[in-house]
Amino acid sequence: MNLFKLSWKNIKYRPLGSGLSILLLAAGISIILVTILTTRQLDDKFKKNVENVDFVVGAKGSRLQLLLCNIFQVDNPTGNIRYAKANAIKMHPLVEMAIPLSIGDNYQTYRIVGTTEDYITLFNGKFQKGEVWTAPMQAVIGGGIKEKFDLKIGDTFAGGHGLGESTHSHDDVLYKVVGILEKNNTVLDNLLLTSLESVWVVHAGESHKAKGSLEVKSLDDLDSLAKANMMTLEEFQAQNAKEAAEEKEHAHEKHDHEHHDHDHAHEHKIVNYDSLLKTISPLDREITGMLVKVKEGSAKAKLSVSATINTYEGMMAADVAIEMQLLKELMSPATGVLEMLAYVIMIIAAISMFVAMFNSLKDRQYEIALMRVMGSSSGKVFASILLEGIYLALLGFTAGWLLSHIGMQIFSGYLSEAYHYDFSGWIFIKEELYILIGALVIGVVAALFPAYKAYRTDISETLSK
Amino acid sequence: MIKSENLTYQYKKQSEIKFPDFEYPQGEQALILGESGCGKTTLLHLLSGLLKPSKGSVTINNTGLNSLSGSNMDSFRGANIGIIFQTPHFIEALSVKENLQMAQTLAGHVKDKKAIESILTELGIGHKLNSSVKNLSQGEKQRVTIARALVNQPKLILADEPTSALDDKNCQAVIQMLKDMAAKNNATLLIVTHDNRLNDSFTQKLHLS
Repeated sequence: MNLFKLSWKNIKYRPLGSGLSILLLAAGISIILVTILTTRQLDDKFKKNVENVDFVVGAKGSRLQLLLCNIFQVDNPTGNIRYAKANAIKMHPLVEMAIPLSIGDNYQTYRIVGTTEDYITLFNGKFQKGEVWTAPMQAVIGGGIKEKFDLKIGDTFAGGHGLGESTHSHDDVLYKVVGILEKNNTVLDNLLLTSLESVWVVHAGESHKAKGSLEVKSLDDLDSLAKANMMTLEEFQAQNAKEAAEEKEHAHEKHDHEHHDHDHAHEHKIVNYDSLLKTISPLDREITGMLVKVKEGSAKAKLSVSATINTYEGMMAADVAIEMQLLKELMSPATGVLEMLAYVIMIIAAISMFVAMFNSLKDRQYEIALMRVMGSSSGKVFASILLEGIYLALLGFTAGWLLSHIGMQIFSGYLSEAYHYDFSGWIFIKEELYILIGALVIGVVAALFPAYKAYRTDISETLSK
Repeated sequence: MIKSENLTYQYKKQSEIKFPDFEYPQGEQALILGESGCGKTTLLHLLSGLLKPSKGSVTINNTGLNSLSGSNMDSFRGANIGIIFQTPHFIEALSVKENLQMAQTLAGHVKDKKAIESILTELGIGHKLNSSVKNLSQGEKQRVTIARALVNQPKLILADEPTSALDDKNCQAVIQMLKDMAAKNNATLLIVTHDNRLNDSFTQKLHLS
């Protein structure tokens, strides 16, 4: 029966007092850890997602919103800008790269983004299967999307209008999966990428409907072949609706009709997206934003590029570095409040631990005298009480640590659904070691005075009572 | 074996109290009798080194207690003196066995489960080995404190009113046990008491006034 065992038994013997101290400490520690784990993972993702982008160009509005929408894929677009106009920034000698983004549709609340192949390159996306789109209405999906919806190469899906739960979907035009990316912990994971043209095609009808008439401006420019293959928009949509209906039908009898399905497709008049595209006026070809990287990245170059962009009518350039700083400043009070709360709970835990040990020692005065009678030195008594504090701290830390990681893992499911950002509970950081040390300090400090009291116990007086 | 010379203790704000000199050889069994408030417990604490005398000295086995200080006194006491108190107290978080093991390890001995089992059996409570100390009857508790005092086979056993809380039957049984166990180990047994029921059991008596 050594001191370690004795202290352990003493803690177990008083489950209420010990339990409360452990619970409070665990609560404080888990709040701190969850806060750190979340901000750390967010920071990581943020950093990965803004690498290599100097500016986000978009419609005038909130710069932060522009950044959130076009880089982090969380907020709504600030509005649309003309592609042709925005594309002019490529001509600027100091622009190294400009990637257009067209955001506005979703698949099961996950964003469909019209862009160029550069966007995949920007985030070092690697294909696990398939390849990049070569024609409109082909899509490349992120690794996370593949896991969530089990889409395979060749599968088709319809985009929903808007970015939330859609009220109506574009089920007259279906996307076809041609490529699947590996997961790499960037925004790519939870996006469905396609060409800009796809987005324009999908929305072609709408912009015309909105204008009340079907405007075909440059039809005269089309060559005869194109004219022969040309469908009117109504024809095109009718054709697609029919195909979609048949697709559904075939899905039911897929097993025995696979061959038939194949042949059947050939009987259709092939939709010529190229010619359809030509019916969409350059004025209607819009994007929601453009990611710009400046050559060399010197301050002067950045200034020059942003100045140029800001002269474009209706457009602005959001400096990623500045907005990121702003974002951090916006977030820091929130995490600060949480951390403060956690520290308050930790202090309460320390006080509770102190009170619990102090109270139990009052009942145990005789026991301590007894230990001395049996040959224990006062130093040993001191150590045994201190050890109790350390045990409580270790238990509190372990409980809080488990709670935070398991909680984080459970919570990550919700976060991923709500924000389409993947978090993990199984990430371990070196701050955890500091928190462990902090917890031990709390345990020792809380036990110090009770231990001193025990050390100073007047055995003779206690035993005479 | 134990010798008290010119032993005097000064209470904090009260008068000092002077104890008679005495000396007992190894294996002697003696009663130290006195009314309440005459300093019986104080004497026992002085003899066991729990209190320091203001004057005089206690010598046990040629070791002067005055020469021992701090943790040396604690370990000397643990190794050489077994003490039984008026009311039985234990480390409540521990079982009977663990309380006795604690006594062994704190005295610097190795854990000896056999010794614990045999002493509990001798005292008729072998079946309580793994019981919680809370669930023992008064008589059983007093027996466990005897077992705890004797488990390290000390050369000196001091008992402070060990029978005052016991009925006649238990009183005689406990005293007989103490005497037998002390005799078996050839330990010196000093019982401080005002319990007249013990008078007939001892020939050596020291009266305090």
